[in-house]
Amino acid sequence: MLPLLLLKTAQKHPVLVELKNGETYNGHMVQCDSWMNVHLREVICTSKDGDRFWRIPETYIRGNTIKYLRVPDEVIDKVKEETYKRDEKRPNVFNRGRGMRGRGGGRGEGRGQMDGGGRGEGGRGSGGRGNRGRGQHQQL
Amino acid sequence: MAADLQEAGLASLVDTTISVITNDGRNIVGILRGYDQATNLILDECHERVYSSKSGVDQVVLGGLHVVRGDNIAVVGELDDDLDQQLNLSQIRAAPLKAVQH
Repeated sequence: MLPLLLLKTAQKHPVLVELKNGETYNGHMVQCDSWMNVHLREVICTSKDGDRFWRIPETYIRGNTIKYLRVPDEVIDKVKEETYKRDEKRPNVFNRGRGMRGRGGGRGEGRGQMDGGGRGEGGRGSGGRGNRGRGQHQQL
Repeated sequence: MAADLQEAGLASLVDTTISVITNDGRNIVGILRGYDQATNLILDECHERVYSSKSGVDQVVLGGLHVVRGDNIAVVGELDDDLDQQLNLSQIRAAPLKAVQH
């Protein structure tokens, strides 16, 4: 699971952000992007030593100033749920693509090898061009 | 052991307990749930181990899910759960780490 996907799912949830300078920001995540820039609403900012507080209606934090974020536990379940749903929506496209590729490669190689020992030319013939050529040489 | 040498990187550590040293000298122990190219980590069930040369190791429950930014990570280590259970943290004395010098 990707950290940025988790953050995206944490939108509308309360989060805590600690910056590299030690300040922490508690608020509701409005939005975040692929640079980890985060937009918070209804924020409480706490100074590094933890003894001063500020209420701020809205903040935008540049991603590279962040040390870490804390997100609610349920967010990870939400991510799993959403990825599951997404995979379920179009499983055919995904599976067909992989299946075709897998089978194509498998058939060429498999037949060539197996039939080489066992059944002779017929099998080798359908194994693909490379195999057929080699097969005939062996037979001669 | 969880680390499979065939597999490079953090993939083999996913869903195992790891120990992270951050640039500010903290030691965070948690379950790795995810990571990315920038070494941003998702840590579950986090604890911080606060070392002191005067008293034992203080295990602070940070709780919940943390996303630690890769910029702030110095070391990621695999943690042997069995071995870890045998530790008596209250008897360990160690000076706290200093922050990384850039």
